[in-house]
Amino acid sequence: MILPIEVLIALLVWGTLVGVDLVSLPQMMIARPLVAGTVAGAILGDIPTGLRLGVVFELLQYDILPVGAVRYPEYGPATVAAVATAHAAPGGEVLGLGLGALVGLVTALVGGVTINGLRRLNSRIVHAAAATLESGDPGALVRVHVGGLLRDGLRAALVTSVGLVLAWLARPLLAGALAVRDGRPALLLAAVVVAAGLAAGAAGTLRLVGTGPNLKWFAAGLGGGLLVAVWLR
Amino acid sequence: MAPLKGALGRALLRLFAVQGSYNYERMLGVGVGVAEEPLLRDLADGKYRPAVARGAHFFNSHPYLTGLAVGAAARAEHDGAPPDQIERLREALCGPLGSLGDRLVWAGWLPLLSGLTIAAIALGAGWFAVAGFLIVYNIGHVALRWWALNAGWTYGARVSVALHSPMLQKALALLGPAMAFAVGFALPLAARFLAVPFPRWGQLAAVVTAGLVFLALRWRSDRLNGLRMALGLSAVALVVGLIWQ
Repeated sequence: MILPIEVLIALLVWGTLVGVDLVSLPQMMIARPLVAGTVAGAILGDIPTGLRLGVVFELLQYDILPVGAVRYPEYGPATVAAVATAHAAPGGEVLGLGLGALVGLVTALVGGVTINGLRRLNSRIVHAAAATLESGDPGALVRVHVGGLLRDGLRAALVTSVGLVLAWLARPLLAGALAVRDGRPALLLAAVVVAAGLAAGAAGTLRLVGTGPNLKWFAAGLGGGLLVAVWLR
Repeated sequence: MAPLKGALGRALLRLFAVQGSYNYERMLGVGVGVAEEPLLRDLADGKYRPAVARGAHFFNSHPYLTGLAVGAAARAEHDGAPPDQIERLREALCGPLGSLGDRLVWAGWLPLLSGLTIAAIALGAGWFAVAGFLIVYNIGHVALRWWALNAGWTYGARVSVALHSPMLQKALALLGPAMAFAVGFALPLAARFLAVPFPRWGQLAAVVTAGLVFLALRWRSDRLNGLRMALGLSAVALVVGLIWQ
């Protein structure tokens, strides 16, 4: 992946903003893969690739309900890295989709691990500052809080950097091997990733819907979507 | 008590970063203390610091509704409620605010708009759909945060009245079915959108694999998740692809 330095910097900044938005500030949902992917695509001048990978990771995101202290993968910076990989992949959109999704999945895993690590680090810092916090000193309170925000910014930048390095490595390490036999290995990879996304989207939604009356609405929507999809063929 | 408009505005701004120092010891507590602090500044000298310290104790709920607890606790401090009553109020609000916010936002408003956006993209709306998602979602997001803070400040210790607001109950009743329909509608369209560049055998492989993965996720939801399945299947596909050379 050879991208101009200003594009790489823009992707790094965007990935960092996306990573911070997930939990810390301001949770306006730029961290959603649909948004993260589309803007990454716009930065690369390739919005269709951003939309396609955005939809794949958005479906995977349905699998997550961020309640309490639950641990989850981080799909925002992952989608940015995935779009960068796919944009630079040779040999058409199928190879780009598979390779991009693979890089994105690994980045999402790394992101999830760093979120958990940051929360543990924050716990130690808050524990160490307990006496100061109990004194009610507002300056100390703000310092502890802003420290957490800055650490999350660093974490998000690190995750995005890892993703972009993986994107850079993916082409020389994997693209050639996946492009043989008319790109059938690449197609297999893309097909299983799309399948996993659709399955995760359906399973995650059904967990939210439950077995009550909303299940009928889900079935009605599914039927309507199938009709439209068939009609569009 | 006259509303402290400037202080409420500052508290609202700080609430956008309420999870900035999220940790397993106090969860959102430190962020809640930071958000509550502007509302406590006009307390008497001997009351201000203890109130700030209380504000930073353990707290966990949905981030968009945390303002309700911030406003209510600050108002109770101004009304001279005993410290243990304020602590009990905060503890009592954790569960209901978490549950309400999860149903309203994470399981309602967000997947509803996300599903509609996926469907719109699949039907050719492109980036306009994503821009629409961001704008509409955040109208609801900001309105909910502002309502929560205002309601907390208005009702103080009687904040449970706000939780039974007819507007909230109506929103909950509407969002569940709407979300279910929208995501159901989006799934087949997303499948078509993503599988368009695949040849026939690739589309068939995707459909069969999706069915099997769905069953696996339903069967072992305690151990499997979308990321693990996707990574595992990608590894298998890579190995098959490399052997295929």
